Amino acid sequence: MIEVEDLVKTFKQKDGSRLFAVDELSFTVQAGEIVVLLGVNGAGKTTTMRMLSTVLQPDSGQATIMGYNIKKEPQKVRANLGFLSGDTGLYGRLTARETLTYFGKLYDVPAEKIQNRIEELSDILDMNGFLDKKIDLLSTGMKQKVSIARSIIHDPPVMIFDEPTIGLDILTAKNIISFIHRCRQQNKCVLFSTHIMREAERIADKIVMIHEGKILAKGTWEEFKHQTGLHDLDDIFIKFVDMQKQERELTNEL
Amino acid sequence: MNFKKIIAIYKKELLDLLRDRRTVVSSIVIPIILYPLIMIGFSSMMSRQEMKMEQKEVTIYVQDNLQDEKSEKVLGEFEQIENLQLMQPVQNSQLQTYLDLLQEDSIQAVVTINDSINSAGYEVLQLKIYYNNAEENSSEAYSRLKQTLPEIEKQLVASRLQKLQVDTEVLDAINTESENVAPPTKMFGFILGRILPYLLILMTISSGSVVASDLVAGEKERGTLETILVSAADRMDIVIGKFLTIITFSIITVLLNLMSMFISIRYILIQMTTEVTAVSLPIGNFVLILVIMIPLVTLFSAILLSLSTYSRNIKEAQSYQMPILFTAIILSMISFLPGFKLNYGFALIPIVNFALLFQGILTGSFHLGYFLTVIGSTLVLDVIAVKISLNLFNNEKVLFRTAPEESYKFWGKKNRQNIFTTRIAIILYFAIFLALIYLGGKWQTQEFISGMIKTQLLLILLPVLVILRISKQDTKKALQIKASKPLNYLVVLLGFIPILIVVISVTQLINYLFPIPESYLKNLSEIISMKDQSLWLNLGVIALLPAICEEVLFRGYFLRVFSQKGFWKGIVIVALMFGAFHMSPYRILPTGLLGVWLAYLALKGKSLHLPILAHFLNNGVTVIIDRFGEQIPFLSKLGNDNIPLWWALPALVILYFIYKFMENYNTENVRL
Repeated sequence: MIEVEDLVKTFKQKDGSRLFAVDELSFTVQAGEIVVLLGVNGAGKTTTMRMLSTVLQPDSGQATIMGYNIKKEPQKVRANLGFLSGDTGLYGRLTARETLTYFGKLYDVPAEKIQNRIEELSDILDMNGFLDKKIDLLSTGMKQKVSIARSIIHDPPVMIFDEPTIGLDILTAKNIISFIHRCRQQNKCVLFSTHIMREAERIADKIVMIHEGKILAKGTWEEFKHQTGLHDLDDIFIKFVDMQKQERELTNEL
Repeated sequence: MNFKKIIAIYKKELLDLLRDRRTVVSSIVIPIILYPLIMIGFSSMMSRQEMKMEQKEVTIYVQDNLQDEKSEKVLGEFEQIENLQLMQPVQNSQLQTYLDLLQEDSIQAVVTINDSINSAGYEVLQLKIYYNNAEENSSEAYSRLKQTLPEIEKQLVASRLQKLQVDTEVLDAINTESENVAPPTKMFGFILGRILPYLLILMTISSGSVVASDLVAGEKERGTLETILVSAADRMDIVIGKFLTIITFSIITVLLNLMSMFISIRYILIQMTTEVTAVSLPIGNFVLILVIMIPLVTLFSAILLSLSTYSRNIKEAQSYQMPILFTAIILSMISFLPGFKLNYGFALIPIVNFALLFQGILTGSFHLGYFLTVIGSTLVLDVIAVKISLNLFNNEKVLFRTAPEESYKFWGKKNRQNIFTTRIAIILYFAIFLALIYLGGKWQTQEFISGMIKTQLLLILLPVLVILRISKQDTKKALQIKASKPLNYLVVLLGFIPILIVVISVTQLINYLFPIPESYLKNLSEIISMKDQSLWLNLGVIALLPAICEEVLFRGYFLRVFSQKGFWKGIVIVALMFGAFHMSPYRILPTGLLGVWLAYLALKGKSLHLPILAHFLNNGVTVIIDRFGEQIPFLSKLGNDNIPLWWALPALVILYFIYKFMENYNTENVRL
C-alpha cells in the first residue's frame, strides 16, 4: 500500500527562484487497486514517483510504502517496490537472463527461486524466444518486456510504472495493460502514470489528476463525469485545468 | 554493507566490461601485442641499420706528402680496411678540392701525411684526418680509420725498436683488464628506478580511467543508473562493487602491460648483449612493487570513481580525468630528478611518495617507517575518496545532472555589468599566471630591476585597472582605497614581526620535512641577492611596488570576488591563490599564511591601505636583512631562516590578542 501525504519537491532554477515540481501532493493506493497519475508532461508525475522510489528526497511531507517511510527506511521501501520508468534502462551487453538473475540477487531473491521466477515471468510475458539474447539485439517491445520482468523479479507487493507504454506499438502496449490487470488480480498495489487520457480511462480504479505539481482532482471516472457533467476524459481534464486557473486568479486578486 | 550484493555487482561489472570490445581491445589486446611489435620492430630496424653501416662503401683520399717507406706502410694498412676505397689523385688539384668533395659527401675522409721531428730528435708522422661529422658515412669512415691507427703506430715503433736492437716486449708496461662489478640486478634496478615509477603511475591511472568513466558516467549516459538506484542494493554496495571493479581492471591491465613490456625489453637486451646475466630481472623487488602498487591503484580508482560519479557523461568524465592525469605525470616525474629521497614529509604527499618509494626499492633501499607512512596516508586518502563517491551517490543533484551544460557565455550581457564573478576572477588569475611565466620571467632574467617594474605594473596592476575601467567602476571605491580607523594602522605595525616569525617558522618546518637539494637552494639565493643596487631602489622595487600592485590584484579585486562566498572562505581561497602565485611548491604554505594575514586586515579594516602597508613592511624587512643582516644578530637569524621554533609561540600569542582586538575594535564601528 502507498500513502502519500503533503509531499513537496522544489528545484532551484537558473535565475535562483524555486520551482515547485510537486506541491503538497496527497493520495493513497490500496492493495488490489490501480491508481493512475494523470497529467501533461512536466506536471510532476515522474518527480513524485522518483521520490517514492527513494532516488529523490522530498523537501517536506512524507510517504510510506508498505508502512516503510521513504526517508527513514529507503532500502526497505525499495525492497518492497517494483519500479519501472523510461529512465530505468537495461545493460545492453548482458542477456535477458543475466539481467534478471543480476537484479534477482540485488533484491535478495534466493538463487534457486530466481530461476523459477525467470521461467514463470518469461511464460507470462512471452519472452522464451529471446531469453539468452543480448539486450542490445532486442526490439523495443522485447526490451520493455525484459524491463517489466526486471522490475517484478522479486514479486513486490507494490508496483510503480512511470509511463510504461510510451513509445510502444499497440500490441506491446496492450500486453502491458493486461499484465497490469493481472497484477490487480494478485492483490498488488499499482501506481501508474500516463499523459494519455484513454489509457487512464481503460485501466484506472482511481485517477489522480495533477497539473503544475498540484492535485487537480481525485476520484473515479464516474465521479468526474458526475462532477463536471462532461463525458470525454480530455474535456474533463481541460475543465479541471481551467478551474484551477480561475481559482488561482481569484486568490491573486484577493 | 552486504557482501553478497557487492560480489554480485562486482561480477556483473566485470562481465559487462569484458563484453565491451572497446575496453578489451584498448586495455588488454593492445598491450599484449603492441609492446612486442614495437620493441621487436625497433630492435630489428636498429640491427639492420648497424649492419648496413658496416657494409657501407666509403672512399677516402690520402695526400701523401712523404712518399717514403713509412707512409707506404700507412697506405698499405688503409687499403686493407674492408669496404674502404682509396681515391686516385686528380691532376693539378689542391687539398681544398678534396675538402670540397668531402663537404659534398662525395668522399668520406681526407688524410694528409707529413712528418716532423719531435724534441728527442725522432721523426714523427703527422697524420691529419679531415672528416664531416654531419654525414653519417663520413663519421663511419673516420672511426674505421682511427681503429687502424694504433696498429700502424705499433708497427712503426716496433721497427724503430728493432733498429735500436731493443726487444719489442719492452712496450708492454701495463696490461689493463676491466670488469664491471656492479651486480647486474643493481644496474638494471638503477635504470628501472628512474623510469619504472613513472611508467607504473602512468599506466595505473590511464588503465583505471578507461573503466572508471564507463562505470558511472557511462551508466548515466546509457540511462541504466536509475535502474540500479531503485533496486534493493544499498548505495554503499554499489560504490564498493564498482570501486573493486576499477581496482581489478587496473591491476590486470598494469600487470599485462608490465609483463609484455619486460618480455620485449628482455628480448632486445638479449639480442644486443651476449651476457645473459646482465638482463636478469630483479624479480624479488618486482613482486614487492606489485604488492605496494595495490594501495596506489586503490587511490586512483577511488578518485576516478568520484570523478565519474560527478560527471554527466563519459566525455565529461574524460575531460575531468585530464587534469588528474597531468598532475600525476608531473608529480611522478620526481623520480627523474636527482637528489630527491623519500622521507616522512614526502611520504605524505600522494604520488610523489609512491614514485620515491618505488625508486628506493628498485635501487635496493627500503625503510619500513617510510613504507608504513606511505601506505597509511594512502589508505586515509582512499577512505576519503570512497566517502566522497558515496556522498555523490547520495546527492540527487549530481545523479540527475544529466542535462547538457548551458553554453559558455563570457561576453554575455549579464556579465558585462558585474565583473566580480568567480568565472572572470579565475580567468584573470590564470591569464596573469601565464603572462608571468612567459613574459615576466623573460623580462626579469634580462634585467632584474626593470623586469620587475614592468612585471608589476603591466602584468599585475594594469589588468585590474583595465577591467575596472571597462565596467565603468569607480576604481577607488571598488578596491576600497580609503582610510581605515587609526588604530588599525598601529595593528599592522605591531603585527608584522610576529607574522614574519610565524611565516619563517612554517618555512623552516617545510624545509625540514621536504629538504631541498642544495643545488636548487643556491640558484634561489642568487636570484634574490642584489647588493650592488642602491638601498632605496631595492626598497622601491622589491617592497613598495609589489605591495601596491599585488594588493590591488589580490586583496583588492580577488578578495572582493571570493569574499562573497563568506568571510573566511574568501580569505583562504585568495591566500591559496596568492601562495600558488609565487610558483614554488615550497612557498605555497608560508606565502599563503602571509596572504591570510593581509586579507584579514583588508576585510576587517575595510581598507586596502592596511594590507599594502603590511605587505610593504614584510618585503621591506627582507631587503633590510639582505643588506644589513650580517651586522645585526636578530636580523641575521630571520634572514637565514634559522630561528628557534619556540619563537613562534609568543608570536602566535601576540597575533591572538591582535585578532581579539581587531574583532572588537572594528565591530563597534558597525554598531555606531
